[in-house]
Amino acid sequence: MLLVALGKSLASEEGFEQVKGYLASPLVKLVTWGLLSALLYHLVAGVRHLIMDMGIGETLQGGTLGSKIVIAVSVVLILLAGVWIW
Amino acid sequence: MVTNVTNFSRSGLYDWMAQRVSAVVLAAYFLFLLGYLVASPGLTFAEWHALFSHNAMRIFSLLALVSLSVHAWVGMWTISTDYLTPMAFGKSATVVRFLFQAACGIAMFAYFVWGVQILWGV
Repeated sequence: MLLVALGKSLASEEGFEQVKGYLASPLVKLVTWGLLSALLYHLVAGVRHLIMDMGIGETLQGGTLGSKIVIAVSVVLILLAGVWIW
Repeated sequence: MVTNVTNFSRSGLYDWMAQRVSAVVLAAYFLFLLGYLVASPGLTFAEWHALFSHNAMRIFSLLALVSLSVHAWVGMWTISTDYLTPMAFGKSATVVRFLFQAACGIAMFAYFVWGVQILWGV
């Protein structure tokens, strides 16, 4: 779906406007928000993974705290993404 | 050394490294694109087209596309070898896992070729 949008938006001026038109519909906005939310959560959890690879927060206590931070940061980013989309 | 015929580099350590390097590339690409889109609300076709025509952006996009394929393969391989096991599927586990991995491989290859076509077409 993202590749369809990218291909269409880059192919021609009309295609670009068409994609812009799709993105104005509430359903497409919701789906975009869903995709973006999954990606943002994956990104934040992935960064935590890298931090833990460096040996930070590897204890049981640190792991619990880290997962709470990941969820909190993700919620904030996902809400911001929602504000941006609408 | 742990080896497995279907993992990406036939070495867990290389897979581990590939997963992380591709993750950093993808994070940079995603944040760049997101930042670009947030910073330009009234984006026009000319600006959008110019962005993807730039040589640096072409290299960056292609790098991200390769990273996406690698990252997805290592990720799906990990999931399939963790969960599509004889414990879950009995004797047919190998067939199920192979078919799942083959489907993932075909999908990733198709996305890669498709992505290259789009980037080359600009």
